[in-house]
Amino acid sequence: MNEKKVKIVKRDTPGALDLAKKTVFLDFIKGLSITLRYNLSRSITIRYPDEEKWIPYPRFRGAHTLNRDEEGRELCVACELCVKACPTNCITVVPMEDDTGKGIADRVAKVWEVDLARCFFCGYCEDACPTTAVRLGRDYELACFELDKARKTKEELLKPQSVPEDFEGGIIVQAKLQRTKSGIKVKPNLWKKKEKK
Amino acid sequence: MGDRETGVVTLKVNGKEITVREGTLILDAAREAGCHIPTFCYQATLSGVGSCRMCLVEIEGQRKLQPSCVTPVMSGMEVKTESESVISARQAMLEFLLSNHALDCPVCDKGGECELQNMVYTYGPRKGRYAEVKIRHHEKDYVLSPVIVKNSNRCVQCMRCVRVCGEVVGRGVLGAIGRGAHQEETSFLRSYLDCDHDGMCIEVCPVGCFMRRPYRYRARPWDLRGSRTVCPYCATGCRMTIEERDGEVVRSIAREGEGFNDKMLCARGRFGYDILNSGGEERLTTPLIKKNGMFEPVSWEKALSIIREQFTKADPRRLGGIASAALTNEELYLFQRLVREVLGSGNIDSTSRWDAATTGAFIFATGITGGGVSIYDCMEAETVFVVGGQVSEENPVTDYIIRYVSDSSRKSVLVASTRAMKLDTSAELSLRHLPGRLGALFNGLVLTLYEDNQERLEGIKEIGVLKGRTVTDLAAECGVSEADLRALCARLESSGSISMVVGTDLLRFREGISGLRLLGDALRALGKVLKILPVLDRCNQRGAWDMGVHPLFGPDYRKVERAGLGCDGMLDQAMDGAMDALYVVGEDVVNMYPDRTFAEEALSRVGFLVVQDVSLTDTARMAHLVLPGAYPGEKEGTFTNQEGRVQHISRLLEPPGQARVDLEIIEAVGSSIVHGFSDGTPQTVFDEIRREVSMYRDAAFSGGSPDGWLVKKSARRLEGFELIEEKKVSLDADPEHPYFLVTGNHIFLSGSLSRRSGILNELVREAVVEISEEAAGELGVIDGQTVSVSGRGFDATYSVRIRKGTPREVVFIAENFEDKAANRFYKRGDVVPRVKITA
Repeated sequence: MNEKKVKIVKRDTPGALDLAKKTVFLDFIKGLSITLRYNLSRSITIRYPDEEKWIPYPRFRGAHTLNRDEEGRELCVACELCVKACPTNCITVVPMEDDTGKGIADRVAKVWEVDLARCFFCGYCEDACPTTAVRLGRDYELACFELDKARKTKEELLKPQSVPEDFEGGIIVQAKLQRTKSGIKVKPNLWKKKEKK
Repeated sequence: MGDRETGVVTLKVNGKEITVREGTLILDAAREAGCHIPTFCYQATLSGVGSCRMCLVEIEGQRKLQPSCVTPVMSGMEVKTESESVISARQAMLEFLLSNHALDCPVCDKGGECELQNMVYTYGPRKGRYAEVKIRHHEKDYVLSPVIVKNSNRCVQCMRCVRVCGEVVGRGVLGAIGRGAHQEETSFLRSYLDCDHDGMCIEVCPVGCFMRRPYRYRARPWDLRGSRTVCPYCATGCRMTIEERDGEVVRSIAREGEGFNDKMLCARGRFGYDILNSGGEERLTTPLIKKNGMFEPVSWEKALSIIREQFTKADPRRLGGIASAALTNEELYLFQRLVREVLGSGNIDSTSRWDAATTGAFIFATGITGGGVSIYDCMEAETVFVVGGQVSEENPVTDYIIRYVSDSSRKSVLVASTRAMKLDTSAELSLRHLPGRLGALFNGLVLTLYEDNQERLEGIKEIGVLKGRTVTDLAAECGVSEADLRALCARLESSGSISMVVGTDLLRFREGISGLRLLGDALRALGKVLKILPVLDRCNQRGAWDMGVHPLFGPDYRKVERAGLGCDGMLDQAMDGAMDALYVVGEDVVNMYPDRTFAEEALSRVGFLVVQDVSLTDTARMAHLVLPGAYPGEKEGTFTNQEGRVQHISRLLEPPGQARVDLEIIEAVGSSIVHGFSDGTPQTVFDEIRREVSMYRDAAFSGGSPDGWLVKKSARRLEGFELIEEKKVSLDADPEHPYFLVTGNHIFLSGSLSRRSGILNELVREAVVEISEEAAGELGVIDGQTVSVSGRGFDATYSVRIRKGTPREVVFIAENFEDKAANRFYKRGDVVPRVKITA
């Protein structure tokens, strides 16, 4: 390897001009003026999670959701193709027979669980699904204190998503940080868009 | 043309020259040549219909493609299986099939192991052009039987289900209704009629038209973990794979090429697997000791020390062991070593239903020591004589094999039984004889043979006993017309090779065995090639005998120095208060011994009764100490079926709780008394068996042929059973009780084990009495009606099932119902109890 050449910079001896600059704190004022300028300009960071939140685009791959059709029937027929397609083995599906019209066929999922701690959000399950029942949604706040909480059951996944499917996304909206006993949530207000430069 | 004499034909398949037997189908020839031809409707065991058109091949010189599954080869033929026109025809065929296929694969239970899916992936066009509305036979799947669900919208009309139902099962419940695309394979009015519920239609269906109801929407094929085992419900010993998901067995399945039975299983085998899941209070999970009449859990160490104490202090002559014939060979061998070597007792038996001398004579007469006889070899004979049992119900798969082989090769099947049998429809001649009169039937046959061939049969001494009898009175004695008897004899006489399929009635009625031996000798003296296949009802009965679990002979049919007592003798001795200890493994003596009251009384007088079983049977309830054993799916070992086929079973699940594999328990009991008794692994015990039992010398423990391994001829000759005294079964008229009670296994049940299966219980909801049409007429009862059956000491109510073709005076109750046990009708010594039926 080449030897690194160390450049030795010779400092000039301090002159009168320097001394003057120091006495009026010129560098200090320069620095402060930048701070002051940013202080007054529009902020470029997102004030997440207290006030704002970024809503991803529809193609975003976040936590799984299970969908229903227009009549409210479960789309999932528990064919287990998502399980087969999953590279990390994080999905568990157990089918059962249900003739009550709960699902679009008489085969519905008795168990549909995904371990989000294992999932790496590749979206193969989405691709494999013949009924578009499983979609990767736009929820990305998945941190939790216990591993068990990372397992999402069918009941949780069937709840409507926080961001509807047809919402455009790619924007920052107003949000509110909510501390509850079950954890911390950032609730967006989708209709209060925050413009950024 | 020269080929005609040699019976072989030479042809070219894809340019490769091969020589095959004349009459071979192009399909088989091509497969032999290594060319794969896809098929739907073809199934080797069924007749050819050529309906699916997947197997079309091009034959040089013929303009149209030909279905290879129904076209026999011809000399000089040039067959192409992969030509352009063949490939496009296959694609067109698949597109055509899919045009009216439901394509609901995500919902369909067959998804993942569907022949249509595989075929379309391999050969199919990747797109269809059909855009019209598909024909739908029905919106929702319908239930065809308690175990079968039907969806006709997926049908590819291969007709396998219809053919298997008629040709193999012999029921003909299924048929094709409608024509063309509207054709639906189903049963009349979509009801299950006289279905055997064996699910053969499910197994042969290439798509998801027929589905298992208990397995419905439970799993995908790739979720399942399976292990190869042998059906524990009868001695046919069908190979099957049981498969579990999340620790629960969800199905048992027989696959082509994995055993001698191919896809064949009966209702018990295919749906009785759920005994392995029966947990809860039913299953024993810890050793139990009886204190003040109540069972309390006890540790294994304590249990074993109690056993050691009790067994060592007892007098060997006042000790005994009864092991069930449903244990593996290894367990039975070790058990017999335990009883004989460690406990020093000769009192050992493997059944509580039959007496020791009779079983010995049966083994001698059927030539079990002569080595294994494959059922397919038996079916090579010109004539198959089925006698002494209800094969169709006790060993359904044996019946299927007899039916499909004989129907497809035009063999003559002769049947002699006490009750109407499904096999009657395939038989050239079927006789009904009186219960307990097989001896007279055999003697009648021998006498008829003797009349025709006096000089050739003069050498057989025993024929002397028939001097003075006439065919007429022997025929009358067994309740068969003389003309029928002579016709049967004429069939036997005119055949060069004969196979006799002999059931357990000889053991049940304790008679007819000398007659069988005499008939065998006579037929051999006439130069006939005779094969005898014993048809047994416990899965390892033959293995139990081979291993020497019998009071009168040891392993390999070695003569024992001092004959011990069988179950009968032990109970007798117990009755006198002279049994200090009895070790019962897996046998439900109380429910199986023909006289329940006596068995209960005798067992209650045993000093120390140890019962090892999977659940608290009626026998186990009487025990002082209960040990929790394991089901076949939980242990490894080998079974020997009725043909003498040694088959390995492997372990799928672990026994629950503290329950242990029977082999380990027997080993632990032995080791607690004698240090270093055995190391108790199935493999080492099997090696020991190979050294000790000459019939098993070359047997392989696991691996080997999927068809198992037939035992060889024993190096020893079974002695002491050449002549046994047979008491004539009394069939005196009793006006009070006009019907003869015959017992046996129910078609859906076997022993008491199958009663723990929820699915099988669904098929047999209640105890049934089977009566003849004539008796039903006399009594004025109809199918399903409740009647009361009363014997001399017991009465109970049963649901009636009318059986056409059964003689008027014969009544049948299966041995399997515990609450209304058939053995309660027996008084000790009774062979054919008399009963009365009131509507």
